[in-house]
Amino acid sequence: MTTIDAGVVPVPRELAPRRETYLNVAHTVKSWALTTDHKRIGVLYLVTTVLMLALGGSFALLLRTHLLTPAGALMDSYAYNRTFTMHGIVMVWLFMIPSIPAAFGNFLLPIMIGAKDVAFPRLNLLSYYIYLVGALWVIIALWMGGCDTGWTFYTPYSAHSPSAVVPTVFGIFILGWSTIATGVNFIVTVHTMRARGVTWFRMPLFVWAIYGTSVIQTLATPVLAISLCIVGIDNWFDWGLFDPARGGDPVLYQHLFWFYSHPAVYIMILPAMGVFSEVVPTFSHKNPASYNAIAYSTLGIAFVGFATWGHHMFVAGMSLFDAAAFGVLSMLVAIFSAIKVFTWVLTMRRGSVVIRTPMIYFLAFLFLFVFGGMTGVATATESLDVHWHDTYFVVAHFHFIMVGGTLTAWLAALHYWFPKITGRMYSERWGTVAATLVFAGFFITFFPQFLLGNGGMPRRYATYASAYQPLHVISTVGSWILGASMLMTLGYLLVALFTGERAGNNPWDSRSYEWYTPSPPPKHNFEKEPRFELDPYDYTVPAERMHG
Amino acid sequence: MAEQVAGHFESLPRQAHAARLGMWIFLGTEVLLFAGLFVLYAAYRTEHPHGFAVGVENNTVVWGSVNTGVLLVSSYTIALAVHELRRGKQRACALLVATTIFLGMCFLAIKTGEYLEHFRVGLYPGGVGTFYRDHGEAGTKMFFTLYFCMTGLHAIHVVVGTAVLAFLLTKVLRRQISERAPHPLAIGAIYWHLVDVIWIFLWPLFYLIPGGNP
Amino acid sequence: MSEATQTRETSARGLALTLLALLVLAGFSLTMRFVHIGAASYFVGLGVAAIKAALVVVFFMEILVEKVTVRLAFAVCLSLFALLIALVLADVLTRSVPPLQNPPGSAQRYRG
Repeated sequence: MTTIDAGVVPVPRELAPRRETYLNVAHTVKSWALTTDHKRIGVLYLVTTVLMLALGGSFALLLRTHLLTPAGALMDSYAYNRTFTMHGIVMVWLFMIPSIPAAFGNFLLPIMIGAKDVAFPRLNLLSYYIYLVGALWVIIALWMGGCDTGWTFYTPYSAHSPSAVVPTVFGIFILGWSTIATGVNFIVTVHTMRARGVTWFRMPLFVWAIYGTSVIQTLATPVLAISLCIVGIDNWFDWGLFDPARGGDPVLYQHLFWFYSHPAVYIMILPAMGVFSEVVPTFSHKNPASYNAIAYSTLGIAFVGFATWGHHMFVAGMSLFDAAAFGVLSMLVAIFSAIKVFTWVLTMRRGSVVIRTPMIYFLAFLFLFVFGGMTGVATATESLDVHWHDTYFVVAHFHFIMVGGTLTAWLAALHYWFPKITGRMYSERWGTVAATLVFAGFFITFFPQFLLGNGGMPRRYATYASAYQPLHVISTVGSWILGASMLMTLGYLLVALFTGERAGNNPWDSRSYEWYTPSPPPKHNFEKEPRFELDPYDYTVPAERMHG
Repeated sequence: MAEQVAGHFESLPRQAHAARLGMWIFLGTEVLLFAGLFVLYAAYRTEHPHGFAVGVENNTVVWGSVNTGVLLVSSYTIALAVHELRRGKQRACALLVATTIFLGMCFLAIKTGEYLEHFRVGLYPGGVGTFYRDHGEAGTKMFFTLYFCMTGLHAIHVVVGTAVLAFLLTKVLRRQISERAPHPLAIGAIYWHLVDVIWIFLWPLFYLIPGGNP
Repeated sequence: MSEATQTRETSARGLALTLLALLVLAGFSLTMRFVHIGAASYFVGLGVAAIKAALVVVFFMEILVEKVTVRLAFAVCLSLFALLIALVLADVLTRSVPPLQNPPGSAQRYRG
């Protein structure tokens, strides 16, 4: 019999002493605004990224609703171009990239390695403010009408577009430094601050995921920074760095941009994989089928992922030699993801699997990520991509990964670590309903887009031939379901924040290291220097053994 | 960056190691920042070898070479400053850091003069200016646009490096950085060295290499 | 600083010699600017720069004194730079079609 809900027994108020936690240790605005506590910074990021998700999601709903009719229901082409551009920018840079690492990574990383905080706590706070300033600039750009170049800012158009290109790239440029600072912070933290006994192969796998992500974001983002710098310079000063009349070559912009932006997708998926590397063993009450496989495949994705960027440029005018090289390398990187999927599934085998909301999200993820991943391998095949490039097929592929993969994981993380962060439990019934609706809404939105793309519907078009309408309508209805389910999730989680049952240290009966500390944790994470008696996934012994 | 151990570190050596690791990784990101521009240079020079050769020929090699000497010497002075600090020679260290700052400012002054000289002959970024009437190849325009971008970005880093060294100098003068915990100056110094290393590559690319195309 | 690292740090004499070497190499590459050796000038110019950079990184920045982690981190950064430049140059060098002189979108400035 599983003791998974053991920690949920409510404690009578008069018997519960008022324990100091990171939340109640101080209540002033200043204590939040100037905090160097990684947990509070994580919460700040969480709240901000939720707002950004809402913003980006609103653009998505606008786009989908506009596409109900072939001539476009809501706006003209110029407005449509700016809407999809800002949707992409807000979602990728303001939501997806910080969503799991900056919020959950910040909160959990030091706890999981037995540290009191990250290596550079003041830099951590600065990172948050840099992120905020960057986000603010993107919002200013929005207020100025937004940018219309697509989130990819391709030259030569980005050099000439009259839309708000410069404030947009400026905002993202600033944001990039937040990402780099956080990455450096996390890397140094994992190298230098692990508690005694927490060796590289004896730490929670989520740490490995955040570490791999941090390596990528630290190394790739500078190249984005310079690429966007040049776009800004070209648009503002007209220096023509990619203008052939002045010696330039527009394809080179794409090389620089994708050198960052392909690893960027791994920044978005590795943390998601890290979440499930925690959720699956916990809810299977079993250790991972192979710890090493997950750890090494994380590094594999991090490094090989840097070598695959040209698969975004098959029809851009790149040489055939490079196209071939990138095609092969892209196939290679898929192997690591496959290793993880098999490992997670094998972990469930012969475990005592319990289905709670985080696990429902895992099951959704399994299906959607594999589907999305396989279509990724397909589009990495140049001979196929020449037909699918710039169609809805690619749009569907990356949404399957980013929404079906990362957003699903983010929702799982939100539920899984809700008790740890807030000290309360959410309603499992609402969680189940919402998770099912999220999955259904997502699938109805994006599966038709594979069919649309394969049938020739181009992406980024504000109008379309009437033959495509039925599939567009289905997709739009799906987007409304998805939007509603997200609002529902926000709703019951907010309610749980104030009225949820109090959670104990370890409501999921996990063995991972964050569950050694109270929910919510005290300001310095551990009451005394932590001794993690067990391996993070040792389910062969009862939970009492965690505390010696 | 006080000498005492910060609350979340268990010891000073740990904290120093963390600071050094953090700085080296940050230097790696600076290298990757410039990398994009170096890649553009490499690709464009491959596409326009003659235009670039003309650019090199017409660049202000004297100013550029003097600046190279200035930076190389400044790297020596800051390295020596760290060396002296480790031996407890606080005053010598301060003097050497000040010299480095002075050399950094010399670099910037020379660079400014050099840019003014370019403008005087009608040479501006973006292929703008009367200079291009007689040197109108697309490659030459790109050469000088890249020149202004890369030396400009480098100059910004010299400004930042100088400011960082000035900040560290105040700490050395107040004995907040000393032989007991020299690592703040050491990591400031390696940032300065990186600025020198980047210029070590900019100098031949923009002033020296005539290339193979006649 | 531990005794072990102290002996591996560059001595004052070492620093001075390094500066001398740097200045000599700089002088050499400056001279080569005026000697016509064709395409070999790339190798000479960049080769000398690489040697000077290595001298700075080893003797001024004392990278060999640092822990393995640091050296590995720096090596990874350089490798990525190499990867980027290699595949971009490979593209530029192996294209069989010359680039468009006026690709769509570049011909005229857009006016909203």
